[in-house]
Amino acid sequence: MKTIWSSQYELGIEVIDNQHKRIVEYINQIHELSHSNSGDVSEVLHNLVDYTYSHFAFEEALMEEAGYPALTEHQFTHRTFIKQIETLKQRFNQGEQVAQELAAMLQHWLLNHIQEDDSSYSSLVKSNILGEHAERHQNWVKKAFQQYFKSPG
Amino acid sequence: MSLVWSSDLELGIPVIDSQHQRIVDYIGQVEHAQKHHDQAEVMEVLDELVDYTLSHFIFEESLMEEAGYPFCKAHQKVHQLFTKRVDGFQQRAKSGEDITEELLHVLKAWLVNHIKRDDRDYTASVKANMNAVAKAKKKKQGSWFNRLFG
Repeated sequence: MKTIWSSQYELGIEVIDNQHKRIVEYINQIHELSHSNSGDVSEVLHNLVDYTYSHFAFEEALMEEAGYPALTEHQFTHRTFIKQIETLKQRFNQGEQVAQELAAMLQHWLLNHIQEDDSSYSSLVKSNILGEHAERHQNWVKKAFQQYFKSPG
Repeated sequence: MSLVWSSDLELGIPVIDSQHQRIVDYIGQVEHAQKHHDQAEVMEVLDELVDYTLSHFIFEESLMEEAGYPFCKAHQKVHQLFTKRVDGFQQRAKSGEDITEELLHVLKAWLVNHIKRDDRDYTASVKANMNAVAKAKKKKQGSWFNRLFG
């Protein structure tokens, strides 16, 4: 079944939301291709797996930088899931028709993961990474403001 | 399918766009050499392509860092992950395996997706920083000019 992206899957960190959206797009593409029996499922499947791993690396680096205390657990969840993906990918490469199974598993896992696990780190990333950024920007504005509007005397 | 440079790959940062374009050109060259069964040429351009891509990553990372792009480190991790994959390909090539087809395939898919998604995200930060630097430079030049001729 296709996933229709909705705000309930959004963490409010645009770059992460876009990555999740992209993964969902790939999953939907696999569903479409499997139904119509056309096009290259293999191509999309490999792109999907590659991008998911790349997204995990991005997310983990972000959590580490934000000082997320449950990083190890989150990393463990990612690793366990990677093992599951790899098993299915191998079966696919050996000619088994498991593309849709892989897409469904990823879809199920991802949407749950976003709503349960990812939402717990997003506030920390917002305050520690984006917050710091916003503050730096503010300081810059403040400095410029003081420079241009020095109080007389 | 060969990869053709098109405007949807453009970020609007000329220095980065021309580097991405160069990578696409290299890919075309490898494919060309492959078609003409020139294995020596394939290996040579492939090496250049990998070298150029890795130094492009470093350049891009320094631009992001300078611009204060908040996801610089995470983006760097994505580059590192891809670099590791490329290393794996190079190891296989050294041991005599023909990895050209597979590497080209991976590189094309990865590059297009990376530019369109991950790179697009830093564009606003980098552009804003470049504009600010250019303005400051202009202002400085302006005042020097004024001092001299004002």
